[in-house]
Amino acid sequence: MPTLKIDGQEITVDRGTTILQAAAQLGVQIPTFCYHPGLSIAANCRMCLVDTNKAPKPLPACHAQVMDGMEVWTNNEKVQRTRKAVLEFILLNHPVDCPICDQAGECVLQDHYFKYSAQPSRLFHRKRHKAKAKILGPNVILDAERCILCTRCVRFCDEVAKSSQLTVVNRGEKSEITTFPGKQLDNPYAANTVDICPVGALTSRDFRFRTRVWMLSTERGVCPECSRGCSIRVDTFENTVRRYKPVHNPKVNDWWMCDAGRASFRGYLEDRVEGPTIVADGKRRAVATAKAVEDAAKAIQAAGGHGKVALVASPWLTNEDAYVLGRLVTGALAGVKVYMGGRAAGAGDDILIQPDKNPNRKGVDAIFAALGVKAADLSSFDAKGIETVFVFGDNHDASPATLEALAAVPWRIVAGTKMGPWWQLATTFLPLRLHWEKDGTYTNFDGVVQRIRRAVKAAPTCKSEGWYAMKLAQSFGDALAFDAPADIFAAVAGSVPEFAGLAWSDLGDHGLRFGEGSVPAGADAASAEPQMEATT
Amino acid sequence: MATIQVTRGELSLAEKLYIPEVMRGVAITTRQLVKNVFGRKDIATRQYPDVKKPYPERFRGRHRLTWRDDGSVRCVACMLCSTACPANCIHIVAGDKGDNTVEKYPVSFEIDLLVCVYCGFCEEACPCDAIRMDSGKHPMPSFSRDKQRIRKVQLLEEGQPSTSHPGGLGN
Ligand code: SF4
Ligand code: SF4
Ligand code: SF4
Ligand code: SF4
Ligand code: FES
Repeated sequence: MPTLKIDGQEITVDRGTTILQAAAQLGVQIPTFCYHPGLSIAANCRMCLVDTNKAPKPLPACHAQVMDGMEVWTNNEKVQRTRKAVLEFILLNHPVDCPICDQAGECVLQDHYFKYSAQPSRLFHRKRHKAKAKILGPNVILDAERCILCTRCVRFCDEVAKSSQLTVVNRGEKSEITTFPGKQLDNPYAANTVDICPVGALTSRDFRFRTRVWMLSTERGVCPECSRGCSIRVDTFENTVRRYKPVHNPKVNDWWMCDAGRASFRGYLEDRVEGPTIVADGKRRAVATAKAVEDAAKAIQAAGGHGKVALVASPWLTNEDAYVLGRLVTGALAGVKVYMGGRAAGAGDDILIQPDKNPNRKGVDAIFAALGVKAADLSSFDAKGIETVFVFGDNHDASPATLEALAAVPWRIVAGTKMGPWWQLATTFLPLRLHWEKDGTYTNFDGVVQRIRRAVKAAPTCKSEGWYAMKLAQSFGDALAFDAPADIFAAVAGSVPEFAGLAWSDLGDHGLRFGEGSVPAGADAASAEPQMEATT
Repeated sequence: MATIQVTRGELSLAEKLYIPEVMRGVAITTRQLVKNVFGRKDIATRQYPDVKKPYPERFRGRHRLTWRDDGSVRCVACMLCSTACPANCIHIVAGDKGDNTVEKYPVSFEIDLLVCVYCGFCEEACPCDAIRMDSGKHPMPSFSRDKQRIRKVQLLEEGQPSTSHPGGLGN
């Protein structure tokens, strides 16, 4: 194992480690552009040049492997001069149109320029002009002048998305990123190129000009569009979601997410219903939350016996909501028929996308199994003898026949989020919070339990499924009461074998896999390989 | 903090008697009145609003937006002014202009003058010489709050072509 010195600090690392990785282990930061921990190494930007005693010229730290007895200087005068020169070359023909560049504020070039160069341009010729605002595909738009030709995007398409659509054409200062003839940048992961592009060359068509990034607030979350449950950042402005960005999570999605998931937030912003309503004498009218809950309880009472009540649960429930619901149907409402709704299965691939389009089937199933709740599939819904049905959530792909059967039930309570068939079905409608408006946990297909967090403040009338279940249980005299999702999670961990040993406070940024619970707190971070965070 | 002791002079008997002093004051006022009404010379009062005091050149008045040579708005909706604004009173909605030279433009641009503190940070921040406070105008009184929110059209009406060259003279 070679031993080397980086900026005077000694370290012993495995053979084949690069200088960049060794420096990262020591906490020494080396600026990069083209290096990305999730991609192959191209070493073409030269930003990471460092001075060593093993070569007369500076070496690219992202590519050069350590040697025994090596001495590395990452910030001596020679390196500083080299960095300045590298940045001057990169910026030579750069348009510096930061004011209209969506990357400004999260631009690696801006950051590196201010930190390592900060010198005015010495170019007195016209700059080389290239394609501006060139549409590469449905989600990505290119500004070739801003491109620094790091080829991260090309490598991403080749290596991660496994569909070669981008390439560099021409030579020298005329080099340009473009799609192959007749091709578009339209693979299902294309928008990740926007994230990894260190500059504003590739930007999102959806987010284009919507908000300056420094005005965004951000909170960690989970993409609910399939059972992969990619770790994401929910970026908001003025209490509205503006975009999703994937966050590095080695247990779930590495650095990526699919384009469908990334664009999915728009659907939730439309047709939102934020107030409870009841239908009386054929007319729908707005009521207070307390009245609506009371109405729901009455509807259940009016059915005359729990056998005449059906309840539709959903794999969109958080683990906490599922637990409270499970307690409701085994406690206060014992004997009701339980059905499981959810979105229909779709296509999957072997990169990220899962065929199960629901975020928490694994968690809900485990919790229901442990509590002894038997749920039949919603497609087998039978309205015979049912007087009241309570539908939780409106992310159910039900066939017209099932919807008809449901509509035949006299009392129909629906807890949902938006206008649509389920809202129309409801005789009592209870507004729900969206996944970015509540705290809780989802379990992905692989059994990784991840936190979702409140990024947006919901209208006070919107409540979680668990809250309604709790109020209902209380109105039937059950003392079911929890203060916070963390308390419910503790109860889940205590009674569901799969969740045994998992603690809310240990879930951290990467979540915990089923069975990882016995690991003492903090070991998660320590046992993980020292991973470099991407520069963007 | 230093304390300064101010000693007042002793009042004379005439002053203490009060009436003579009042008479003296009235006499000064009357003399000035007669002079103003019949003389109209050396009047200290400014005849506002007929005569206005010239403002200093760098007076920060109401905002305006400058134009490009073709008369379109110069602002590129970069939001630097609204970012710099300490009063948070500039509200811009950006849009895609759909051409490759300008790309971004403000669909709407609104300044709430009731909130503005006339600090001038916005014109200082603007990289395009698009917003200026050199109109020399005061904020006007109005009967509604909404009138104090000046919008793109008004801001442009007061504008003028900018003389600066985007990207420098070399381009
Ligand atoms: S890529 Fe970065 S440096 Fe270039 S214009 Fe955009 S923000 Fe400015
Ligand atoms: S478009 Fe972005 S990621 Fe692709 S080569 Fe250019 S700078 Fe790199
Ligand atoms: S003058 Fe100051 S307070 Fe007024 S809009 Fe400009 S930056 Fe804001
Ligand atoms: S007025 Fe100037 S600073 Fe403000 S958005 Fe327009 S270009 Fe940017
Ligand atoms: S050459 Fe090392 S980061 Fe680009």
